[in-house]
Amino acid sequence: MSSELLTIAVESLGKKYDIYTQPADRLKQMILPRVGRVIGKGQRAYFNEFWALRGITFDVRRGETVGIIGRNGSGKSTLLQMVCSTLHPTEGTVHVHGRIAALLELGAGFNTEFTGKENVYLSGLLYGIPEGELRKRYQSIVDFADIGEFINQPVKTYSSGMYVRLAFAIAAHVDADTLVIDEALSVGDVRFTQKCMRYLRDFQKRGTLLFVSHDTGAVTSLCSRAIWLDAGRMVMDGSAREVVEHYLAVQHAADRASLGESVTVRASVAEAGAVTNGATMVSATMPVDVVDPRQDVLNGAATRNLVEVFDFDAAQISNEFGAGTARIVDVQLLDVDGKAHQLITGGEVADLVIEAEALEVIEAPIFGFYVKDRLGQRLFGDNTYVSYCDQPVHAQPGTHLRAHFRFRMPVLPSGDYSIDVALATGTQENHTQQHWIHDALAFRASESTMRHGLVGIPMHAIMIERAGA
Amino acid sequence: MISTYRLNNPTSPYLALYRHFAIVVQMARRDVVGRYRGSFVGLLWSFFNPLLMLVIYTFVFGVIFKSHWAGQVGGKFEFAIILFAGMNVNSMFSECANHAPTLIIENTNFVKKVVFPLETLAWSTLGSALFHFLVSTLVLLLISLLARGSVPWTFVLFPIVIVPFLPFIAGMVWLLGSLGVFLRDLKQAMGIITAALMFLAPIFYPMEQIPPHYRDLLYLNPLTVIVEASRDVLVWGRIPNWDLLGIYTLASCLFAWFAFVWFERTRRGFADVL
Repeated sequence: MSSELLTIAVESLGKKYDIYTQPADRLKQMILPRVGRVIGKGQRAYFNEFWALRGITFDVRRGETVGIIGRNGSGKSTLLQMVCSTLHPTEGTVHVHGRIAALLELGAGFNTEFTGKENVYLSGLLYGIPEGELRKRYQSIVDFADIGEFINQPVKTYSSGMYVRLAFAIAAHVDADTLVIDEALSVGDVRFTQKCMRYLRDFQKRGTLLFVSHDTGAVTSLCSRAIWLDAGRMVMDGSAREVVEHYLAVQHAADRASLGESVTVRASVAEAGAVTNGATMVSATMPVDVVDPRQDVLNGAATRNLVEVFDFDAAQISNEFGAGTARIVDVQLLDVDGKAHQLITGGEVADLVIEAEALEVIEAPIFGFYVKDRLGQRLFGDNTYVSYCDQPVHAQPGTHLRAHFRFRMPVLPSGDYSIDVALATGTQENHTQQHWIHDALAFRASESTMRHGLVGIPMHAIMIERAGA
Repeated sequence: MISTYRLNNPTSPYLALYRHFAIVVQMARRDVVGRYRGSFVGLLWSFFNPLLMLVIYTFVFGVIFKSHWAGQVGGKFEFAIILFAGMNVNSMFSECANHAPTLIIENTNFVKKVVFPLETLAWSTLGSALFHFLVSTLVLLLISLLARGSVPWTFVLFPIVIVPFLPFIAGMVWLLGSLGVFLRDLKQAMGIITAALMFLAPIFYPMEQIPPHYRDLLYLNPLTVIVEASRDVLVWGRIPNWDLLGIYTLASCLFAWFAFVWFERTRRGFADVL
């Protein structure tokens, strides 16, 4: 790869922190070992070592957008600081071509005693923009930041939102070849975040973007590639979606492990095996389906409604009831290929699978579910009754039954959702709940194009005609 | 835009000033303006402060103590003017010296969060002190003109007298600024050190009052040469001692170079302890 195509080249980068108990020890460490060498005496170290980052190697090509994910303390910010050369690497090298503008953590770079205006000029000078040029761009920066009269107040009086507005406005006006953004966008209000996202999407066309966020939704929607750091090591470097999925899966397993359980990360669903026991899927093939004609547009990276699914965990169920002749043992939300994904997409076909074990002989089981929003409002739901009322299933003790609900996941407004699942016996009108689990499965939707209403349903067609004539 | 310097080059301290002149000016300007922000008469304070100081000196030393400088003739203002010429030099020095130990600590953001040419902080600190110093000198000349009817022509030599002082102050800010990061006690010690240097310079008394065998010791005080020389050109109308000033210039530049190298070498450690 020729070097002109590379904007950032990071080579076996490492940063070691020497943890000093008091500042004077740092000075001793700088002087005493040298003195010790000269007079031939033994040396002692005045610090404890801590490697914040080690062995990181990657290249970023011009025009690429790379997301960096990882837990707190995994070394993301350290990496960015070294890329921006505010930190000296302990080992390895970083090469950056072109001007780099950084939006590191909150408050970076501003002198809080200065007014917003003074900070604009100072930051501009630090980015190497001549003063005359700065004067020309000043108004545009102020307009972008849109913080009104506060521009003439000391920055220490700013709210964190205003801080970021100004910082972003400056970074957006320095003609950078590379923009480095570190979780800064989360504090702005919706309107400003949208403005920033619009700017970033536009910037992607001409520059390189390095983006750190805890918001995995933002990473998948904005970045083509992602790098996952954990405890200062690079775990994965690949397509954003793939990396995010693995990251979420491992995160989840780790959360569970901290509760003393072992959870294997499900890569895909196990084969159905002997479970279905006579019950055939009523409609295994997809029937005529309404697809929103805007589907392709909506699923463009920018507006894709991502739904992040959290695994079902029997041990975590806190709210359940039922007669108990059967027990729901597993609930999964799969994509159309039957794969368990940590992420599915609103507007795409999903497959809700509920698996239950019969503890006694059960006749005419009815599986059902509700999708609820954060406030517990039931958005939609369904059950198996009508499809199977003329051919009731029955199951012996010990057999597993698995119900599938295959449906087009509606586009959901951003937020948290959960699914209640239930198994009953009897009829629609007269039945006994055998096992009902509240909030069996949780998921979170992000990056929604939906603004109003509870769920988005697919539109057959949308058109504007001239009426009358 | 991290700046690297060839540290074995004694001009590197001035290269730092040249490269980042716009930033130095911006920081110094903001320092001067910022100090009076919100006050009623604003920047005029930088004029009133020295003027009022001079009034106090006149009252205390001219009216109450009726102090006389050895060999001095003249009215109430005479002693105050002589004292003021020396105090100005001391004020510029102590303003920088007292601020230096906290200079880097106060600007943690510039160390950890952005790429900032930290070495310019010394120049901008000096710049703002120099501004106040020049205004005070203007007040001094104005009062001399009013009180004595004339100003010695030698005041045109004043810039030449002051320039050798500047590398020394910048160097001191680099040294104290760096040490202040690691030795937090330094800030506390500075008050007493600057006070000692003030009294151990011929500011309140003429050099002639010092027993001859101690006089050479007094020249080890970095203030002495400059205090004497600026009084020569501003008050007495004498040509300063060029030999002493020449030696002082050399020492001042060497010190600045050493301090700059020290600062650049130790700045890597700043981020570890801030």
